[in-house]
Amino acid sequence: MDHFERQLAQMMRDTEAPAPFEPKHRERLWAGVRVRRRRRAAQRAAGSVLAVVGLSVGLFLLPGLVPRAEPSRPGPQPATSPSSSAPHATPDASPSTTPSSDTSTAPASPDGAVTIMPPGTTGSTATESPPGSTQSASPPSTSAPPSGTATARNQPSTTSPSPITP
Amino acid sequence: MEQSRAHAFDEFVAARWSVLLHLARLLVGGDRHRAEDLLQESLVKLWFVWPKVADDAPEPYVRKVMMRAAARSGQRRWWGERPVEQLPEAAMAGDVSADVAERSRLEAALAQLSPKQRVAVVLRYYQDLPEGQVAEALGCPVGTARSHAARGVARLRQLLGNVTEPVQ
Repeated sequence: MDHFERQLAQMMRDTEAPAPFEPKHRERLWAGVRVRRRRRAAQRAAGSVLAVVGLSVGLFLLPGLVPRAEPSRPGPQPATSPSSSAPHATPDASPSTTPSSDTSTAPASPDGAVTIMPPGTTGSTATESPPGSTQSASPPSTSAPPSGTATARNQPSTTSPSPITP
Repeated sequence: MEQSRAHAFDEFVAARWSVLLHLARLLVGGDRHRAEDLLQESLVKLWFVWPKVADDAPEPYVRKVMMRAAARSGQRRWWGERPVEQLPEAAMAGDVSADVAERSRLEAALAQLSPKQRVAVVLRYYQDLPEGQVAEALGCPVGTARSHAARGVARLRQLLGNVTEPVQ
């Protein structure tokens, strides 16, 4: 530290003038404290409002972004043939059989007609029977009344001619 | 609780007001109103941390706040002055003395430095802080703080050279 630097430091210390802390300084200081307190409270309130708005917007948009986990349609049930499921049971004699099993045991012809098959015979053999055969129009041999679904499907097949016949 | 806290704060401010105001005047280059603004802002910040620093070192906290604010003052564009028709205070007749003249010359010379040079010079030669603490207050490397202080002293040497010549 050279001479000038020492004199500079001394000058900085010597030029200190006494300045009392007056009441106007005190009032101004506490006014500044009140202003800063209000500003901090306002900032805190604004921050809380922004946080709530942000959360609300997020929760509103979130269900559209996340894929929903809903149960899907029931899958196709396995097709069962009369020979594999119940070889000796006729569709009319078994009321417990579901309508889907009836439709599977009665394959549709190419033009949509349904042919009733006798028990113990497969659909392919019944539909490919020669014309004039009584198998396609034979009524059910059982005496038990068929279910509503089976009866409705059996009626047209008994009255309509075989679609395969020329 | 609040009353005792405010009373202790008032006592501290009243006891250290003169010293802190002088430091503020040196840091801002002599403008008394800006110095009071700087000191008041620093004391307001001190009030909100008073329970934490009251027992340890409230004055170093105020000094550090003032130094950082003064170093940043170069980036500040507006100090909040508003034009008035009449000056709030008039100069007193007894102000024209040798001490006041010397102080005015010093403050005028400090006012011609950049804010960082001024803060570096004041911290280095008035507060006797080491270069590391000056750099910390300025928020720059030690070499940069040393450069600020050296350039500030060189500029003051030009401005005050004829005044500080030792009297034969």
